[in-house]
Amino acid sequence: MTLTPQRSAGGRPGQSGAPAESGSFLAPGSPGRQQPRTKAGAQPWLMAVSVAAAVAGAALGLNGVLRGWAWYSPVLSTVLTVAFTMAGLRALRWRSVFVTAGALAAMVLILTFTFFRPHSILGFIPSGQTLPQVGRYLRRASETVLAESAPVAPNAGIVLVVCAVLGLLVILIDALAYPLALPATSGLGILAILVVPAMIKPQSVGVLGFAGATAGFLMILAVSHWFAPDPRTGADTARNPGQFRRGAMTGALALTVTLLLQLVIPGFDQGTFPQGSRLNPFGTATGLNPMISLGNSLRSPSGEGRITYATNAPAAPYLRSVTVDNFNGETWAPDDRDSTRRLGTGRMETGLEPAAAEVRVVTAVDTGQFTSPYLPAPYAPEAVNGLTGRWSWDPATLSIKGVDTNSRNQQYVVLSASPQLTPDLLAQANGPVQGVPEQFTAIPDNVPDIVRTTAQTVTEGSTTAYARAMAIQRYLRSIEFTYSLQSPVQGGYDGNGLSVLADFLNQKSGYCIHFASAMAVMARLEGIPSRIAVGYAPGRSTGGTVSIGGQGALPEYEVDGRDAHAWPELYFQGLGWVPFEPTPSRGAVPSYAIEAQAPSGASTNENNDGLLPSISANPAPQPTVAPLPLPGAAAPADPAVRLLPVLYGAGAVLLLGLLLASPRLARTARRRRRLGADQGGAAAVLGWAELRDLAMDFGVPPRPSETPRHFSDRLRSSGALGDPDGADADSHRAVRSLTADFERRQYGPPPSGADHVPETAAPETAAAGTAGGGTEAGRRIAAVRGSLGAHARPLARFRAAWLPPSVMASWRAAVVAPFRAVRRAAQRAGRRAGRGLAGVWSSTRGAVRRERRSRGS
Amino acid sequence: MDYQRTSLDEALPEGQGLRDGSAASGRPGTPRQGQPPAAMDPEAFSSASRDILAAINTVIDGKADAAKLALTVLLAQGHLLLEDVPGVGKTLLAKTLARTIDCSVSRIQFTPDLLPSDVTGVSIYNQASRSFEFRPGAVFANIVIGDEINRASAKTQSALLECMEEHQVTVDGKSYKLDEPFMVVATQNPIEMEGTYPLPEAQRDRFMARISMGYPDKEAEMEMLETHQAASPLAKVTAVVTAAEVAAMIETVRQVYVSQSIKDYTVSLGRATRESGLLRLGASPRSMLQLLRAAKATAALDGRDFVLPDDVVSVAESVLAHRIILDRKAASTGETPQSVIRAILARIPVSPDMAGAGPASAGQGARGTAAAPAATLQNRR
Repeated sequence: MTLTPQRSAGGRPGQSGAPAESGSFLAPGSPGRQQPRTKAGAQPWLMAVSVAAAVAGAALGLNGVLRGWAWYSPVLSTVLTVAFTMAGLRALRWRSVFVTAGALAAMVLILTFTFFRPHSILGFIPSGQTLPQVGRYLRRASETVLAESAPVAPNAGIVLVVCAVLGLLVILIDALAYPLALPATSGLGILAILVVPAMIKPQSVGVLGFAGATAGFLMILAVSHWFAPDPRTGADTARNPGQFRRGAMTGALALTVTLLLQLVIPGFDQGTFPQGSRLNPFGTATGLNPMISLGNSLRSPSGEGRITYATNAPAAPYLRSVTVDNFNGETWAPDDRDSTRRLGTGRMETGLEPAAAEVRVVTAVDTGQFTSPYLPAPYAPEAVNGLTGRWSWDPATLSIKGVDTNSRNQQYVVLSASPQLTPDLLAQANGPVQGVPEQFTAIPDNVPDIVRTTAQTVTEGSTTAYARAMAIQRYLRSIEFTYSLQSPVQGGYDGNGLSVLADFLNQKSGYCIHFASAMAVMARLEGIPSRIAVGYAPGRSTGGTVSIGGQGALPEYEVDGRDAHAWPELYFQGLGWVPFEPTPSRGAVPSYAIEAQAPSGASTNENNDGLLPSISANPAPQPTVAPLPLPGAAAPADPAVRLLPVLYGAGAVLLLGLLLASPRLARTARRRRRLGADQGGAAAVLGWAELRDLAMDFGVPPRPSETPRHFSDRLRSSGALGDPDGADADSHRAVRSLTADFERRQYGPPPSGADHVPETAAPETAAAGTAGGGTEAGRRIAAVRGSLGAHARPLARFRAAWLPPSVMASWRAAVVAPFRAVRRAAQRAGRRAGRGLAGVWSSTRGAVRRERRSRGS
Repeated sequence: MDYQRTSLDEALPEGQGLRDGSAASGRPGTPRQGQPPAAMDPEAFSSASRDILAAINTVIDGKADAAKLALTVLLAQGHLLLEDVPGVGKTLLAKTLARTIDCSVSRIQFTPDLLPSDVTGVSIYNQASRSFEFRPGAVFANIVIGDEINRASAKTQSALLECMEEHQVTVDGKSYKLDEPFMVVATQNPIEMEGTYPLPEAQRDRFMARISMGYPDKEAEMEMLETHQAASPLAKVTAVVTAAEVAAMIETVRQVYVSQSIKDYTVSLGRATRESGLLRLGASPRSMLQLLRAAKATAALDGRDFVLPDDVVSVAESVLAHRIILDRKAASTGETPQSVIRAILARIPVSPDMAGAGPASAGQGARGTAAAPAATLQNRR
């Protein structure tokens, strides 16, 4: 027997109210067991495509962190393999855990196939030989991360790591988007990829990476919305034009705020919309104050002021902006001899006849964002063409300076000539210096003693000027000196000026400024005219070529702030100004200044192991800057731009974000789990639990001693749900139906197998229990949630969203539980001990009394 | 001796003895004679119960709760104790309830000199047949109204006990079955009143529920003055259901489903009364059974075929308050049995997953329910 019929007629208003609507809503969604197979079958594949697109798209942004594009094909194959393996396993209806395990296995196989083919079974199954190879690759990767500055050469190690990380991210994003049903949160994984280029690359993420990541993310959202619509938004379907209007308005607002924000934030002027740029107060000061900003440029991790140039010189030349020659005073700065400057750079005749044969070099320079009054050019420029604006040049130093313009966005061709110098030639040029302005020879008034004594000691026994110069360079490049950007800062002698030199010679650690000025000052003490050139060390090949009229395609090089450099130029009679390279591990030592026997530093940027041959397709242009072995001790002392802290920072930011969002994630996941479609008969209980948690989140906590009906009445009369007759009638109905369903499920007779359930009621209960169960509860919960949110104060709403009391309470309980257990155990032990003590006490007392009594008697 | 048969008793159709109280009727759904009563279908049940309550409410103004509880007790096969000061309508409620049902009703006015045989009946020697023949007492009726039961001596009171508990009368070693349905509606004045023998705990325990009528509110009292002035409203009341229908309704109530968690809840309520530091005597296991039966009747009257915790809560005070005895200290601090029951209701977790924080499974929660009262009680001590 049952008394249900009158209930089933009016007791489910939520369902009976709008049967047509709920029916049409249920049709596309709820990938439950009742769904047609075709729909559920397409979802994993579309989701795989979306996730793969998002990850591969975001990985586009890594171009620039890794050099070139050769690394992209292994990345793409890994991402696609992992994504489609998961889709395939899902289509076979494997459980989530096995899907993840399968994806991991697939990743291992594809990585083995890509990287360890010779060391594996059948070319893709890892074997015993594979493991040492993995170790080798990982060591290579960690060396790269530790020692190199971006963009790094895509050697096999680093590409392996990138592929593995991206593969894992595919699994993570897929897990967030599909089984956990948190598609919006999967953006965190994509963000994790984008953070790396955003922090390392000078041009931030780049349009490609941004567009790829965005498109993939939107696809993920679209796929999850289509197949498992959020009940809240699902109720508001595309039939409702308000959705589009709201979407458009939100988009417009976001765009406006983004555009306004970058006007307000200082320094936000680099890179292009939409990815904007980083905050960097030094951003606009590139090259304005070369001596001061050089250290900052070197230390800057972003490497801005990127200049590209193509040249027909056999090796990438130094680019020289300006010289510093006045060594008096506290700080050294370029001496602007504006009076002697000549206008027009079309023909720069100094009138000096070179003694040696000259090599003429054509260099096409594109300064890009590099902003400086001085023009970077290879030494010694004879003509500069293609400049915009008015430029002047100084016959004494050949520095080129803008009159009413600067170097930003200049494209020009420099014709430069440099004498072919040899050690012999230099050794012969030992005559007394004539015709050199006094400012290049003047010995500063306040030269510290240590500089003098060092110069004397070092050059002792050297007869020619060249020998003395080489002695000084040898001394500075010796093992005693280390290159460090940090120790001058820590030691308090960062900067320029003579006082710094003494500290530098004591500490024997510094960077190019210190080495160059030490050599320059010591050279003057030894009678050699000297000056400091400030500019860029030879750059890296971009792999591209630039065509210049009459020269054909020339290899292109690039430099940025981190290549900023200073080096001394010494004057030799009859030969002119000759550059030297006293800074260890930076730049390239000119051929005439290389000591035959001594190993010297070289560019550290060549680390291609030949895995990806396309990178080294044109190794020809750089015979003279060929990679030389790094002195072992010097390697870790080069802290130029390290990937490691950036990676740690990105990880920390990601972790922090996850941590802050974790209550919300936990709450959302709990809700999804409860309202999932496969709950069947338990849907009523889970829906009820969700209702209780919701009420708790919005400040109507259920009491344990309360009956479900009482709680439901209290919730509805508390005002948190709003007006029961007006706009919120739906949610009131939903609460009533949730309560009724829960009561029937919790306290009612079991739906099947009970002989006293009459036939008339059986289909009714079965329908309520299974058919619409999961999504129906979801729809009701969504209605309740909407009403609760609409009637809560902003702060309460924020708390419900980000610090939901239901989650916090259960976490607190989990934290407190062990303490409570310990306390209870302690209490029990204490009670037992007390009882024992009391027993001992009473027996002792009894014994004493008996003793006393027996004595008394 | 001061008992009388009501006119209803005589109105029974011919051939229907006292022993056979169920009347044949043309209503649908009623059982045939001699068969065990079948359950009623829900519509008939709710319409019948509505009719009964409506009939009672025409007589007694503003006491819908008391009327419903009285009906609940009837359907739960319990006995009702109406306790209040004289003149608030205790007897009227009992009489009205009896009249709405087409069944035998007897009324016993208890006095100190009432004898047990007056209640149960007596064997008299029949000269003609030369044998003892049993003359049934007033208790042989479907509804027995015991007026001012606490005025009778303990001996007479306990004579009623057997009838109430066992639905049978034993005279001279012979047992006589009482008719079904059988319900004793006793009224009593508060024990402080003069000339009363307070009901012993054992006897109080046999009553399923105690209702305090309470004074009517102003409007109800005014209306009572208006309507009851001319004639007794009782006269207008006619029977709306037959005894057989009531039996079917009782069967319906018997079949109401009680889930495991409701049993858990009921048991933890009972244990809480026994473990309470405020009570000298807690609720008996029998009272737990009666509480559950009353809850089943409440559920059926609410149109449900399963018991909710709300049903238990709604009858708990009426069912339990008259059985428990306050500690002397608690009584002196102004606690009443009702307040203690209310406090316990406010403390005991209702349902397994109410005890757990989150989506706890039923098994975990059940343990929590049982453990919770003990923990709270320890805190109280």
